[in-house]
Amino acid sequence: MNAAMRRVAVTGMGVVSPLGNSVAELYRNAHEGRSGIHRLDAAFSHRLAAPLVASAEFDGSAHFEPQKLRMLDRVSQFALVAANHAIADAAPDFDALGRDRIGVFVGTGMGGSQSNDDGYKTLYGDASDRIKPFTVLLGMHNAPAAWIGIEHGICGPNLTYATACSSSAVAIGEAWRRIAQGELEVAIAGGAEAPLSLGSLKAWEALHTLAAVDAENPSASCKPFSKNRSGMVLAEGAAMLMLEPWEQAVQRGAPIHGEILGYGLTTDTGHITRPSVEGQAAAMRAALRSAGLGPTVIDAINAHGTGTQANDAVETAAIKAVFGDRAQHLPISATKAMHGHLLGAAGALECVLSLLSMQHGVALPTMHLHSPDPQCDLDYVPNTARSNIAVRTMLSHSFAFGGTNAVLVLGKGTGSCET
Amino acid sequence: MTDTLEKLHDILARDYKIAPALLTADSLLEELGVDSLGVAELLFNIEDEFTITVPPEPVTLATLGDVAGYIDGLILAQSTASVAADGPVTASA
Repeated sequence: MNAAMRRVAVTGMGVVSPLGNSVAELYRNAHEGRSGIHRLDAAFSHRLAAPLVASAEFDGSAHFEPQKLRMLDRVSQFALVAANHAIADAAPDFDALGRDRIGVFVGTGMGGSQSNDDGYKTLYGDASDRIKPFTVLLGMHNAPAAWIGIEHGICGPNLTYATACSSSAVAIGEAWRRIAQGELEVAIAGGAEAPLSLGSLKAWEALHTLAAVDAENPSASCKPFSKNRSGMVLAEGAAMLMLEPWEQAVQRGAPIHGEILGYGLTTDTGHITRPSVEGQAAAMRAALRSAGLGPTVIDAINAHGTGTQANDAVETAAIKAVFGDRAQHLPISATKAMHGHLLGAAGALECVLSLLSMQHGVALPTMHLHSPDPQCDLDYVPNTARSNIAVRTMLSHSFAFGGTNAVLVLGKGTGSCET
Repeated sequence: MTDTLEKLHDILARDYKIAPALLTADSLLEELGVDSLGVAELLFNIEDEFTITVPPEPVTLATLGDVAGYIDGLILAQSTASVAADGPVTASA
């Protein structure tokens, strides 16, 4: 790390996810290998080739007054609840820190897609011109970040990143950079996604990226790194972190859940969807470089691991390109087998899971991996969590349609990473 | 209480979950948590409930009584307009 850069601690975490709406519940379920993926029970399910989703058990009316709820798309509801939990966890004094020195950094791939979908149904489906007055406010991509700023009186930068499936890794990375460089004293950073509308599900289906239903066990339909993998499962939720300078966190006695050590970003320009070994490997190298670390100190990886044919083979090759022989000895977890693909919120949720797994000395399992693929021949921690291992430094991968490859370097945050 | 005001109270109690005890003709919308943006949305819902069309021009409404009076005005104007428009058609038929 550059000597002028400050260490950045994670002092708050909050989640709304298919594996639970608290950090403890999320970790427990992920450790046990429970899947949040299920058959979709909706009026439009029969219109989907593979009606599978990973939904959050979440009722907005339990969290918001009716007048406020009318202005919040589901994606903003998730973002607010996760941010509220993260801030309550970190218990900061925003007035003392200076409200214009605090920022909000949110990733979302599809924003308020449910509200936009509702508007289109009115306009085209019902042939009515009665679009709801709040449609713009509900649907705009920056609504989740804006509401977090409003709720907590955060007056510094309020930024929304839309780099598809790497959006929230980018949000966390960009927030980390600003705190490390001394520009901000606190950041709320993460992602939110609520893509389980008919319009969104059909659009993803049309792209032929979604998993087929596992007839024996629908909850096992997403099979990252397995020979018989058939695609991803769309999921909803949010994950938010509170980041602040390490010294400040220590001084004020804040809970320290881990550390952001670095962040690398590259872009594939060969194709709008096709991943490249070179681009992913370059992002991993850039992340390590930004952390001032070599590949030998990385103990484990949370893979992008979507369960698509293309990603998992390319990601495996990219890990080998960076780590060489050491790649065989790295535990690699693809937790999307359990929580599905939260698109713009995926990177943040997987960052939380990575920090939790380091705290517990555990490598989380890659579930539903029973059919080895010669192209995916690394240690994916198949089907059962591995406990009592020393995991102090991890990479968390997020690779996106559009080509944005984002990699976070994460530390356990117990003084092991002074460089 | 007029029928319009009563119906307005029902809408606010049902859709906005406002306690009926807080709903009077003098109740300020702002104090009920319905700001100027909220009024725009309330008027949108009112169009369906009262079968009227709210004109696009902005209107300042402070109390529930103001809203009820505005609705009554629109009902009267639009029913008169409708009768006037229907008149010749009926006559020629």
